[in-house]
Amino acid sequence: MSDEPAGDRPELADDRARLRLASGPLAGPVLCRVISMVLTRADWPVDRLHDAMLVCDALSAHAPGHAYDGHVTFALAARGDDVELRVEDLSEEGAASLVRDAMLPGVGNVLERIPQSLSVERVDGRSRLVLTLRRG
Amino acid sequence: MNEHGKLGTAKKRPGEAMKPDMELALWARAENIAIVRHALGGLGEAFEISDEKLSDIRLAVTEACSNVVVHAYPEDSHAHRGPPDPGHADRGPATPAAKPSARARGWGTMEISATMLADELVIVVRDWGQGIRPRPDSPGLGLGLSLIAALAQTVQLGHDTQEHTEVRMTFALSDEFAEPGSAVPDIAATAVASRPQPLRGTGDGRP
Repeated sequence: MSDEPAGDRPELADDRARLRLASGPLAGPVLCRVISMVLTRADWPVDRLHDAMLVCDALSAHAPGHAYDGHVTFALAARGDDVELRVEDLSEEGAASLVRDAMLPGVGNVLERIPQSLSVERVDGRSRLVLTLRRG
Repeated sequence: MNEHGKLGTAKKRPGEAMKPDMELALWARAENIAIVRHALGGLGEAFEISDEKLSDIRLAVTEACSNVVVHAYPEDSHAHRGPPDPGHADRGPATPAAKPSARARGWGTMEISATMLADELVIVVRDWGQGIRPRPDSPGLGLGLSLIAALAQTVQLGHDTQEHTEVRMTFALSDEFAEPGSAVPDIAATAVASRPQPLRGTGDGRP
């Protein structure tokens, strides 16, 4: 992935898609559609697609509440069997808080259980969450 | 409160400084137009846009994106120079360093932004390509731009302050104002509405 700081413009580096959404009702319907299209085109099996939608639901439900400036950016890059999803433009503690918010009673933490990897990065007073989803 | 007010996204007045509600940046490839259409479907769901209006919006935006895919980044364009990342040849160059100039910074990309105003939706399709110019070898059928003009309330073609080539479309969401292709407030849009102009087309009206 590129290492440019979280910025205001949706610059496309080596990301396959970059989506910036205003906090509010857009995150759920738009994010889930975009990611499901990308994964479907990559021929992901339906069970893994379903897992990815659970992750999307968790992100879209909680990420807008931790936005740095009222917008959240989702950057998606497919590499082989992996898809890396970055959630950017979160407040300084936003990414960590987002992970904590993803706890489901009886299920556990969706963002910790489903992705292959999960990391929190802080850049210029903001933070971002980097997830890797694996096809198989 | 209008029908969108309950959704929690701040409504904006025309002319107000604003950030778009949605910005989507993708490689300008035909297969990515489907992603744009799905994203617009999500936008329509969130803002409770009627199926009929959403169909019009999708069709117009699809035409604008198709113009980017077909015309913005021709093979001999300077914006196309620079070796693609050999490991990711299907995605174009992987790093900004592979791009030869600031103008080519967004190599092969298209950006779609959507801003909800009080009673209208403004959608802008941008690219970093060669700009709007006649193209004698255009493969287009000549329907794209006139179709956009027929479906949108206003259409503006031009460049923004960052050298993007952009097609700016306004769609009325209230039936009271919805007369597609009739309310055209500026010179560029008037030209588009009255006589199809080449977008990146042949010079004979075929975009």
